[in-house]
Amino acid sequence: MKLMGKRAGILFILCVLFAVGMIFLLFTYIKDAPKWAAAPFNQHLYRSGELVRAGQILDANGKVLVSTIENERVYNSDESTRAALMHLVGDPKRGVATSLQVTYRNKLVGWNYLNGIYHFGGGIGNNIQTTVDADLARATYAALGGRRGTACVMNYKTGDLLCMVSSPSFDPANVPDIEGDPEKYDGVYINRLLSASYTPGSIFKLVTAAAAIDNLPGVQSREFVCEGSYDLLGQEITCPSVHGRQNFAETMANSCNIAYARMASELGPETMTAYAGKAGVMSGQDLDGIGVANGHFSLTGAAPGDVGWAGVGQYDTLINPLSYLEFVAAIANGGSAVTPHIIDSIKTPNGFPARFAIDLPIHENVLSGSTAGTLRQIMRAAVVNNYGEGNLAGYGLSAKSGTAEVADGKEPHSWFCGFLDDETAPLAFIVIVENGGAGKDAAANVARTVLEAAVGK
Amino acid sequence: MKIEETIQSFLSEVGILGEFVPYVTRFIFPVLAILIFFRCLLPLMSGGRRTKPWAYLTIAGGDARPLTHWENSIGRSPSCDVVINIPSISRIHAVVTRRSNKWTISDLNSTGGVTINGEAAIGQCLISRYDDVKLAGLPISIVPVTEEFDDEYEDKFEEKRLFERLAENAARIAARFGAGTTLLLIILFQILGGLTLVVLAAGSEISLKIPFVFLLYVLLELVYFAGTRFAGRKYIEPELLAFFLSGISLFVCASTNPEAMVKQFVAVLLGLVLLLVLQFFLKYPERARGARYVFAGGALLLLAANLLLATAQNGALNWIRIGSLSLQPSELVKVAFIFAGGATLDRLLSSRNFMKFMIFSGGCILALVIMRDFGGAMIFFITFVVITFMRSGDIKKLSLLIGMAVAGAAIVVSFLPYITARFSVWRHAWEFSDTTGYQQVRTMIYAASGGLFGVGPGDGALRYVAAADTDLVFGLLAEEWGLLVALVCALVPLALAVFAFLSVKSSRSAFYAIVACGAATLFLVQASLNIFGSFDLLPLTGVTLPFVSNGGSSMLSCWGLIACIKSIDERHRAQSLPYEDENDYEEDDYE
Repeated sequence: MKLMGKRAGILFILCVLFAVGMIFLLFTYIKDAPKWAAAPFNQHLYRSGELVRAGQILDANGKVLVSTIENERVYNSDESTRAALMHLVGDPKRGVATSLQVTYRNKLVGWNYLNGIYHFGGGIGNNIQTTVDADLARATYAALGGRRGTACVMNYKTGDLLCMVSSPSFDPANVPDIEGDPEKYDGVYINRLLSASYTPGSIFKLVTAAAAIDNLPGVQSREFVCEGSYDLLGQEITCPSVHGRQNFAETMANSCNIAYARMASELGPETMTAYAGKAGVMSGQDLDGIGVANGHFSLTGAAPGDVGWAGVGQYDTLINPLSYLEFVAAIANGGSAVTPHIIDSIKTPNGFPARFAIDLPIHENVLSGSTAGTLRQIMRAAVVNNYGEGNLAGYGLSAKSGTAEVADGKEPHSWFCGFLDDETAPLAFIVIVENGGAGKDAAANVARTVLEAAVGK
Repeated sequence: MKIEETIQSFLSEVGILGEFVPYVTRFIFPVLAILIFFRCLLPLMSGGRRTKPWAYLTIAGGDARPLTHWENSIGRSPSCDVVINIPSISRIHAVVTRRSNKWTISDLNSTGGVTINGEAAIGQCLISRYDDVKLAGLPISIVPVTEEFDDEYEDKFEEKRLFERLAENAARIAARFGAGTTLLLIILFQILGGLTLVVLAAGSEISLKIPFVFLLYVLLELVYFAGTRFAGRKYIEPELLAFFLSGISLFVCASTNPEAMVKQFVAVLLGLVLLLVLQFFLKYPERARGARYVFAGGALLLLAANLLLATAQNGALNWIRIGSLSLQPSELVKVAFIFAGGATLDRLLSSRNFMKFMIFSGGCILALVIMRDFGGAMIFFITFVVITFMRSGDIKKLSLLIGMAVAGAAIVVSFLPYITARFSVWRHAWEFSDTTGYQQVRTMIYAASGGLFGVGPGDGALRYVAAADTDLVFGLLAEEWGLLVALVCALVPLALAVFAFLSVKSSRSAFYAIVACGAATLFLVQASLNIFGSFDLLPLTGVTLPFVSNGGSSMLSCWGLIACIKSIDERHRAQSLPYEDENDYEEDDYE
């Protein structure tokens, strides 16, 4: 029987294989169960692929943006609010991949490893309170007026996003025939704030200016001469107009290409790349775990003249609006960047927190305090001397416009970014209107309307 | 129906209060399941296996060797239980077998031969200590141990290894686990489960079948338990585990198809009858050996009938319909297949009857392939490999066989589009979520929806998917009862297999060792194909999860296999002293 004992080892091998299989199954379960439970085939949560059983999404003031009532997903009662916040909340067919109904679906339906989708007392999931203001979003959406683009307002002290609107949009409660009108709904499922990258144009001069302040001694007392055209190491740099003699602050107000191309050239590719990195151009930070598109900045193999063009935000540079807004907010906040976020809290129907509150990191010294201060002054001067304050006098509006040339002979993208230098309304903002023309017109007008709504004017 | 109305109205009253019942019970189920599992597992794994010798084999009047097994091989080979390193002795010379407190010897075609009182021994011959037994001229005798000897052995010979000491400690704990208490826990699980099912169904129409069948089932368990007590049988953990899982299969039926509950209950009842019948046949290895031919013949007849009368169900032709009754013969053939593979040590070492088993298994597997029951063929093949290895120990021959089978399978697969489709979806179920991957994807989704504690019995969504009560049953359990309960169900086949593995050396005969290991292999392979198939870790082949899946034929065969596994269990004889063994042996059994 000793022999049989040995031969029975074959059964032992099978036992081990089975055990290994079970362990593998468990690992797969632990790894993939959140994904499995959230699949739109799950009849507990979805009907015909549409989410029907999930918690509410609320705005900062407790206004219900979407909720489930009697097994139906019911969106906010106001049509333009629905459209304005569609990219944040999500649409029934889950077209917007960065929306909360897609990225936070497991929190919304209340799934966890312990209880699965089971809820005590007939609950239907967790409620997400966001930081956005529904009224502000509606005003912003109206200001964009159907033009393609995005606008965002952020509290640069706390990182709260008060407004995140992407246009074009649609009413998630009455989904239109999107495929039937590809022109009107071009890229409608893309949240342009998070998922798009654009040529920055002149708003990138803030990065070049920061680098120059830190690395070109005496740059602030230099005089820059602009004759409309300049030959930078064999490449012609042009300005839309002849700016003549300018001091450092005036180059920003004038948005003088020649001055910034020359500074970039003096700084060199390495310093420029380092400052583009500081500004978060190359890699976007997640927004509450929601992926943000990366920008692009690379001067490897670039001609000397290209370095100059890169310094004025052209060349092949791309930036993501939200990532750039973080940089602008860092300028406003004395050099340290707060992490932007859009979720205030996630709670069970009984009001218990359904996620641990974590302190979001603050990136100290993205810029030194004095550099940030200098930039604040010249941005303020740009508004006073060039863009105008509109109805926002007294709020310390500081900004930089951008007019980003795009290919195909289309109108340039219109940018406007900046902040209110005001203790009671510490707001940073960024606006882009695609093919909107000059930055100080289209985008600036949208920005002023949005800010007026934000400060309650 | 006055009573029915009363019960109905009572249940609807309870329904309001009952909303809160699942809050509590959903946490009790996993606790009970784990408790039941470990209360059965520990006695199965722990000692109670005899390591003390039954007798001593003295060689040439001097050298005494302990005989610790029921069947002991003698020879020059180091793999023998008693090694006699003398050139005239063959590598494997003879087998001495203990039957009750008598000993027999069989010559294994040795060169030197075996003589008893000067006459050549042919077949299995009874010997006493006064007989003059010679192996190739070398006199041997078997001296049974005496009471004093037995006690002496304790201190003198027994060196306890760490493993043995651990087993002893486990045994001490296990000794406190009364089978009766474990059964009470099982019944508690079933009553609570039935209650929760009824309560959750409250509000809609309440099927009175559910409480009724559970009442009968609990009664059946109690009657069986009382029976074993009356017959003085201990060590009923394998049946307890089977009762626990069969109870879960009733829950599965209640949730997916309450109409099938009565049928499933009857299947358990018949399964118990089969268990007792098989235990009768398995009482003595010689009796079991004789019964093999009847079983094997019956199996081939069943398969032949199946091939002639088959009706296709879900792609496979493995069903026979007789009126409203449908039968899956391949399930019943499993038990016969295992029986056919068994052999006592003397037979197995003289390697007779081996071809017959090969031809028989080949026939069974071929029949299953023709029926397009590829999962079944796979199960039979692996079991065949295990049994063949235990019989021959020939790794070379076996690898050749496996190679041929794999090549053959590859040819079959490439010619059948139906099977190729199954392989193309394998590990890509999510890409085919509405066609060939439908079931696997739903299994994953709903298993994840259940979490550790489940959404509640009868409250799942997987139950609306085809074959949720059979092929996808692990997912169904994970959804409705939670992952913990599902895992316990999955671990039962593993526990039984480890038990069989650990018991091989102390079994009464190589026959039982083979039969039990074969049955354990069937359980393991079936559980693997079922569970891993439904989660797309293996191709989905549509086999049942032992005891748990809804299906009468499968239930019946599982209970039959429990008889095979129990045959290896000699714990009730381990403590009895060799000189006062119960006199249950009939002399004419080994003629």
